[in-house]
Amino acid sequence: MVKSIISIIVVSALIFLGATVENIYLKNSFDDLIIMVDEISDKLENQTAVEDDVLSMQKLWIDKKQKLHVFIPHTEIKEIDLWISECVTYTKYKKYEDALAKCEVVKELCEQIPKTFSVKLQNLF
Amino acid sequence: MAQNKFMLVIFFRAIIIFVTLIVIMRLMGKRQIGEMQPFEFIITLLIAELACVPMTDVSIPLIYGIVSVFAVFILHQALTLLEQSCTLFRRIVDGKPSVVINKCGVDVKELKKNNMDVSDLIESLRSTGNFSLDSVHYAIYESNGKLSVLKSENSTTSEQMPILIVSCGRVQKNNLKLLDVGNDFITDLMKTNGIARLKDIQILTLDGGGNVYLQVKGQNYKTFKITLPNGVSW
Repeated sequence: MVKSIISIIVVSALIFLGATVENIYLKNSFDDLIIMVDEISDKLENQTAVEDDVLSMQKLWIDKKQKLHVFIPHTEIKEIDLWISECVTYTKYKKYEDALAKCEVVKELCEQIPKTFSVKLQNLF
Repeated sequence: MAQNKFMLVIFFRAIIIFVTLIVIMRLMGKRQIGEMQPFEFIITLLIAELACVPMTDVSIPLIYGIVSVFAVFILHQALTLLEQSCTLFRRIVDGKPSVVINKCGVDVKELKKNNMDVSDLIESLRSTGNFSLDSVHYAIYESNGKLSVLKSENSTTSEQMPILIVSCGRVQKNNLKLLDVGNDFITDLMKTNGIARLKDIQILTLDGGGNVYLQVKGQNYKTFKITLPNGVSW
């Protein structure tokens, strides 16, 4: 009986600890990306953005996604990959409006993905 | 080359899931592998499914599978603890053993409660090595679905296999054909034993040696021997 109680407590604690670390890590990772997306969006609106700006966002995302693969479905990561890649190309050819639209999608995804994995009734069912 | 890498990914994921399952199954104990209570059976089914999906679908993080298996493990441990400390809880979750054969004969009501009929009982009895209903003193369906049997002290091993002729008032026509006789055979049997209606017969079995097991509604079972029509054998 003692072994069972201990195992329940230990495994529950591990899961809750893991969930807390996951929550903090996801929030921080996506917050960093959102800040960067906002900066680039401003530049795109002012039509001052250059390819290197978006490439730096892509680099940041590539760094973050290595660890994010552990926590979120790989399809979600792939989706952000595609939108950022399109944004890079549009910026390269100075199609700022299109690039801005792609940036908005990336921002929306960055806001929505952590919410999808929060413990809420709508996510449980 | 990319395909090779993909296969390696699945290979390593399978190893990780396998090791996790081995650890969990060892922690759950031997009962999980042998005789299972209903909730344990469900857990085993769940674990298999939970382990398979992230193992083969690389778009799902492996951590999802591992966390789900650990969640099921917590449930198992918690249910086991509750069962050990509360009899009522055990009865709710696992059910209770059902005595389906007693000194009076087969308890058809108890069989129906367990969604079974007489032929299911006879089938289970055969798997325990008991081919005749009267060779069993008590038969109990345990909560894990196994049939436990207490053999009758004065049971004699017959070389003939009994066949179910009537079950809860319904004639088993295919079995009746083996006797090479019509419904008259049952009518005569009913007259001899003072049975007014066919539906009053709960169980009627007959073996190749003419040994009859008869249980009428509201009465104890009885066994007797009759003379079979010539040439009947099975």
